[in-house]
Amino acid sequence: MSALREQERQAKEALRKRLNIALGVVVVVFVTLIARLFQLQILEGEHLADEAERNFIETVDVEAPRGRIFDAKGRALATNRPAYTLYITARPKVIDPSLSEQERRRTKPKREPIDDDSIDQLTRLLDFAGPVDKARFVQDIERLREDERNGRYQYAIRSGLSDEEYARIVTRSDFENWVEIRRSSKRYYPEGELAAFITGYMRQISAEELEAAPPGSYRLGDRVGKTGIERERENDLRGRPGKHSRVVNNRGVPVSSPPEAALEVLPEDEEPIPGQDIHLSLDMDLQRVAAEAMAGRKAAAVVAMEVDTGRIIAMLSVPSVDPNKWEGPISQAEYESWLNSPFKPFVDKSVQEMYFPGSTYKVVSALTMLNDPAFDPDAEVECERVIKYGGVDFSDTHRCGLVDLDEAIVQSCNVYFFQLAIDQGLTLAKMKETAELFGLGDRTGIGINAEARGVVPDEAIETTQGQFQKGTTLNVAIGQGNVKSTVLQVAVLYAAIANGGYVVTPTLVDRVETFDGRLVFQTEPKFRNQEPVLSPDQRDRLHNALAGVVNSETGTAYSVRLESVRVAGKTGTAEVGKEMQTSRTDVAVIEGWDTAEDHAWFAGYAPADDPEIVVVALVAHGGTGADAAAPIVMRLIDYHVGSRGAGEDSPGRRAPGVPPALPGQEVLPGAESED
Amino acid sequence: MARLLGPAPSPVARTLRQVDWVVLTLTIAICSLAVLNLNSAGIARGYGDWSGKVRSQLLFMGIGAVAMGVVASINYRVFYRASYAVYALGVGFLLLVALVGDTLNSAERWISFGGEGSKFGFQPSEPMKVALVIIVARVLHDAKDRKARTLLLAGALVLLPAVFVIRQPDLSTGIILVFIGLSMVAVHQLTWRAMLILLLVAVVLFGLGWSFSMEGYQQDRVEAWLDPEAHADGIGYQILQGRWAVGNGGFLGRGVGRGTQNVLGFVPYGDSDYAFAIYAEEWGFLGSTFLIALYTSLVLWAINLASQAEDRFGSVLCTGIAAYLFWHVVLNIGIVLEFFPNSGLPLPFFTHGGSNVVSTMLALGLLMSVSRSRKFR
Repeated sequence: MSALREQERQAKEALRKRLNIALGVVVVVFVTLIARLFQLQILEGEHLADEAERNFIETVDVEAPRGRIFDAKGRALATNRPAYTLYITARPKVIDPSLSEQERRRTKPKREPIDDDSIDQLTRLLDFAGPVDKARFVQDIERLREDERNGRYQYAIRSGLSDEEYARIVTRSDFENWVEIRRSSKRYYPEGELAAFITGYMRQISAEELEAAPPGSYRLGDRVGKTGIERERENDLRGRPGKHSRVVNNRGVPVSSPPEAALEVLPEDEEPIPGQDIHLSLDMDLQRVAAEAMAGRKAAAVVAMEVDTGRIIAMLSVPSVDPNKWEGPISQAEYESWLNSPFKPFVDKSVQEMYFPGSTYKVVSALTMLNDPAFDPDAEVECERVIKYGGVDFSDTHRCGLVDLDEAIVQSCNVYFFQLAIDQGLTLAKMKETAELFGLGDRTGIGINAEARGVVPDEAIETTQGQFQKGTTLNVAIGQGNVKSTVLQVAVLYAAIANGGYVVTPTLVDRVETFDGRLVFQTEPKFRNQEPVLSPDQRDRLHNALAGVVNSETGTAYSVRLESVRVAGKTGTAEVGKEMQTSRTDVAVIEGWDTAEDHAWFAGYAPADDPEIVVVALVAHGGTGADAAAPIVMRLIDYHVGSRGAGEDSPGRRAPGVPPALPGQEVLPGAESED
Repeated sequence: MARLLGPAPSPVARTLRQVDWVVLTLTIAICSLAVLNLNSAGIARGYGDWSGKVRSQLLFMGIGAVAMGVVASINYRVFYRASYAVYALGVGFLLLVALVGDTLNSAERWISFGGEGSKFGFQPSEPMKVALVIIVARVLHDAKDRKARTLLLAGALVLLPAVFVIRQPDLSTGIILVFIGLSMVAVHQLTWRAMLILLLVAVVLFGLGWSFSMEGYQQDRVEAWLDPEAHADGIGYQILQGRWAVGNGGFLGRGVGRGTQNVLGFVPYGDSDYAFAIYAEEWGFLGSTFLIALYTSLVLWAINLASQAEDRFGSVLCTGIAAYLFWHVVLNIGIVLEFFPNSGLPLPFFTHGGSNVVSTMLALGLLMSVSRSRKFR
């Protein structure tokens, strides 16, 4: 009995010992767990919390409002309008559906390229300009999803969505991990075509441009200025994008009401800095008059510039493409119609296209001779309409009779200048020297739209292009041959004659201001030369001749003179070379445009006695300078200088087709208030 | 002494005195935290706000509480007599699973009533754990000596369900069955020398298993556990996100429903295997230590009851229940804290699921039953 009890007691004692050991083991194990918790939560807590933060913070760029472009009177030429932009992530975070549920839940969402079906779903909700537009859109996404690096970021794939498109897409929740629509803005050009070549337009940055840009400055999908001021002043206009941070969940989708703890650690937002505003010297009233004056011209350009400063106050090239078109989808048919148009709507005919200057170039020939002390400008030459040289007939439009230099310019006598080239030492080299003094053969430096240099030929150039023929000199002397210049170059040439020999660098930008109106940059007049390139005598002689062109009864532009103001100027009727006529097409007449017709020029400045502005017009294949180009110039001069006597504020905006009021004539009631 | 002289205690007072308040208080405390945590987990999983899985978990706890009360009021010796029947029932269900079970997470662990994918069903491996505790307690009670025969019988009874479970395949539940059985045997039967031999055998078996019979995904998990950063895009993701969640808790925690890792959906399995990661993020070091202390108290109390039980069956039963709780808590939290490679084991009451909740409460009911008869023989 007691032995049994003793045995039981011993067994109990042994059990208690073992259970105490088990107790110890349990405590040690749980303390170990707590020790690990201490390590993770106290010792490494901060570091691990940082890791956790990196999970959910996503930083996105916020585009800066682009600077605006204004004319001289503060009217907007380019501004911004609210719009929706479609962003996509072509390689969004997804969970591989082929994995078993177990593995799916244990693995990190991977970045997978969007499938074709999803792209198809999206394209069905968008309005496209045509199959090519659609194909390009799909191609963009496809290219992006192949790109492992860029595909993981949001990419502005399409801007300027319509309200309908917006409504169709936002309601689709199945897009949430790869499609996002953000409020942004699109460019708006209130004047449309009227200032198309001035403002230029914007497009999505190309792969090459992206490559060339400083790293980090641009991202795929950014829009950049492609032409005009938009391009030249891109850096001023662009501003600096801001950064906004937001909370995303494990699938990378922004969370609508994130936990407070997440909001607390979000980096502070950097607000974008708006771009700077560009104020131009351009006067849209005059620009509008220019458009009215050029109505009906197939391809033409006009430049109006202040002679003393080089400030451009009107500059128009027709036809052009409304820059607003580039803010939306463009159908392939429309794009190709622009591209294939004989009128070249993509080419700014004031600076990008070179033409024979024709008789407007005679001032260069005249000045070249006036620099020769042996030359007597009063000596007369008999013009019999035709002159034979080297077995070839060089002809004139009419017979002028006995002319001196003055009368040769007034009547635009070719024979007189042929004669100078034949026996008075008017050589290519000398003409080139004079021409280059006025900046011909070089870019004027206006800084927009890839200016052409023009061509001022010498014998070397002629030889490289084939046999130098003596007759070339004769042709160059009257602005034919191989001499070529832009409309703007001719304007600079005539401005220099008007202002007494100063060759200006034309400018469009008057000043640059920050978005809140602080002045950043003010343009000062710039000249190519410190000393005048003309002597007062030479200037007077040329000026008198040019005044005679308009104001003497024998002058070529006498018929289009203004009553309001005395104008000096020169007509030009540039013959289009035979090869020009035939090389383009066998058919000379395209869409009612006779390409066998001469290019019509007129370069004029006014008021003649105290010149303020120079206006040069070119009408491609327009006919004679006096008929086709001079009326345009006269209308601008009349508007800007002539009608000023009627009161500073009277010439407001006029309805198209309504001529500017002549001095003393009442402005039609109601014609002023258009908008 | 005063009581002997006073009036006889009322039935209510008697019942109240029979209740093991330690077990009950700890259970209620753990369940409360578990439900709060599941509600937080629901934020990122589209239920929360006391609906969905939170409601069903509460329902399971209600059912479990009733079962717990019933078992607690039964004399535990009834289970001695019923042990083989209970065991046979458990193994029978496992057999049924092998034949008609539903697949969850690519393993057949589930029996559902009312057709495929039905909401009503259970995992037989969970009650099997309790049945195993009962049968091993019986075998050890019957053995009055330390004969090898007893060990072999106990071993066979443990391995039979374990093999079924491992073949589902559910390696971790198989392991936990073995661990529970081994713990009971180790405390109540084995000599120190035998334990040493067993340990050596276990090491050898583990080595062999690692080399020959481990599935590819199991090896991957071990590799991810050893170097989660290298597998951050794959199976290391869960480990790292869990680690960041725990670390994000800091000392005081982010607050209930306010942990970014959980709310933003970065904790995989936050309402099952990784529930503790969410808890640690929300409650911090302080709260986590408190929860571990609650579990530790329950385990220690069960061991204490083992030494006070009036017979060997009750004692071994308490040890088994202590082991049941201990291994679940240690393995589950240990996985989150990266002591062990990833594996699907429930944290009692925290992991959503009726089978585990009810089974755990059954076990606790047994504990209370043993506790009751200790005081009132």
